[in-house]
Amino acid sequence: MILARTWEERGLCRADLFDFLHGHYYIASLVVVTLSMLPFALSFEGRRPQTRELVVIAALVAITVAGRAAFFMTPQFKPVVALVIISGAALGPQSGFAVGALSGFVSNFVFGQGPWTPWQMVAFGLIGCLAGLLFRRLAASMGATEAGGGVGPDTGGAASADTGGAVDADTSGGASTDKGDAVKWYEAARLGWDVRARRRVEWLRVAALCAFGFVATFALYGVILDTAALTMFSSTMSKEALLATYLSGVPFNLVHAVSTVIFLAILARPMIEKLERVKKKYGLYARKDGA
Amino acid sequence: MGAAGAKANRSIFAGYHPVLNFVFFGYVVLAPIFFMHPVVLAVSFAAAMSWSLYLNGRKGLKFNLCFVLPLMCVAALFNPAFNHEGATILFYIRDNPITLESIVYGVCAAVMIGGVILWFVCYNAVMTSDKFVYLFGRGIPAMSLILSMALRFIPLYRTQAVRVASARRGIGFDAFSGGFLARVRNGGAILSVLVTWALENAIETSDSMRSRGYGLPGRTAYSIYRFDARDRALLVLMLALVAVVVLAIATGTMKTLYFPLFSVRDAQPLAGIAIACHVALCFLPLALDTREDIVQKIALDNRS
Repeated sequence: MILARTWEERGLCRADLFDFLHGHYYIASLVVVTLSMLPFALSFEGRRPQTRELVVIAALVAITVAGRAAFFMTPQFKPVVALVIISGAALGPQSGFAVGALSGFVSNFVFGQGPWTPWQMVAFGLIGCLAGLLFRRLAASMGATEAGGGVGPDTGGAASADTGGAVDADTSGGASTDKGDAVKWYEAARLGWDVRARRRVEWLRVAALCAFGFVATFALYGVILDTAALTMFSSTMSKEALLATYLSGVPFNLVHAVSTVIFLAILARPMIEKLERVKKKYGLYARKDGA
Repeated sequence: MGAAGAKANRSIFAGYHPVLNFVFFGYVVLAPIFFMHPVVLAVSFAAAMSWSLYLNGRKGLKFNLCFVLPLMCVAALFNPAFNHEGATILFYIRDNPITLESIVYGVCAAVMIGGVILWFVCYNAVMTSDKFVYLFGRGIPAMSLILSMALRFIPLYRTQAVRVASARRGIGFDAFSGGFLARVRNGGAILSVLVTWALENAIETSDSMRSRGYGLPGRTAYSIYRFDARDRALLVLMLALVAVVVLAIATGTMKTLYFPLFSVRDAQPLAGIAIACHVALCFLPLALDTREDIVQKIALDNRS
């Protein structure tokens, strides 16, 4: 009560707080962005993840950062979003968020931290999380039908045509019924022997990832970072100001989105195969998969 | 990091305890955003500019001119173009009033953004990743482990890529000769090998960590930082200065209005003191660094 009275004596009231936040979009949105990452951080830390999971996530973060560094010459043309989507699809939403957010953070140790860091973290993290929610099963089936026994370097268009690999499809669902097994066997065998059907399914899966990659990069990442830029240097949040910011961002976001599609088209299949193989070989994330 | 310039390694302020570094950057980055007071902004910008030039030398000057300056121009022009609040209308562009207040706000916002980005330039030179992990590692153990491992993996992968490339050259798959398609295929194979190796290596590393007792209770983290009397004295000084500025803000003595009319409160003793404290805070690291340079120079001169 005393506090309230002294506040009023000074001509301050609760409306002043809103006034203050109204004039400080950057601070207000910074608070929101930071708070939005908190649940992920808390649940990730609270789960006490296995050491193996942590180190695989660290490896993926390092690969992503190295990818961003390798393309330092080409502004906006970066493989980061593609690699984050692949990580999310293969390892699930929570790890996808971790790979995305930490890639944003770690790569800025190389490229420079700035007021943009929290927004990059949240944007990459969100994309990784969404990819995990949408494509977990797709990635699992990609790994199951394609990984086969191919341990060595099998990229560069060397389509591994081993039909035996298709049978692996049902090893993950060990506790399923006989009938389910039969259906799976049938599907696996059909797809395995009919090369054209298999290719078509494969193509559709990569196309789905690419479509998601385009939308996520252009709409999600682009809009989040353009809005962040606006909160920094504008005193108003008018419709015109937002529109002008988004329009001026379109060419950059378009290049970024196209680069994501290109990298996904090239990297999605081999990368997901490798990740699924490591998961299967070492029983990573087994608690969730085995259910 | 390699980005740190000539003097970053010798900065005496960077040698203070990470807590002090972090408190300092927390203040100088947030103060201009919170208290859009013209004098506070100008002081902050001048201090950030001079320390970033001190830390990064000529490379810093190039960055400031090529990146920070254009960004500031955009901010200065953006506000009058889209914000038509303000009582003093100067002229109209296509029925849109251009007001003196929004131009003033635009210039202040530009100085604020320029200052914040320049403080981040200093931050990048001073706050290395190990300091960050030291400060936040206890609160977020899993994520700070990922952070420090990822930072270690990047140079490791570079070394391994060179190894893989030379091994493949030895068996006739050189990524740097032959036709374009052959080079792309061989380069892709190197990446493929590298990713497979990285994932396998990650598993091996984690198994090795577990067998050495990572994650068991009672384990401590290695740290090279000590909080001594020197740090305590400077921290007390810094917090006292911050307290004065916050007091001045809280009592409204430094309230600045931009719309509808630009107005700064009449000069009051407290505002003057607060601005003096702000100046002292912003120039603190530069002053410490310069003093150290002078002391060293005198010591060297006396010896010869």
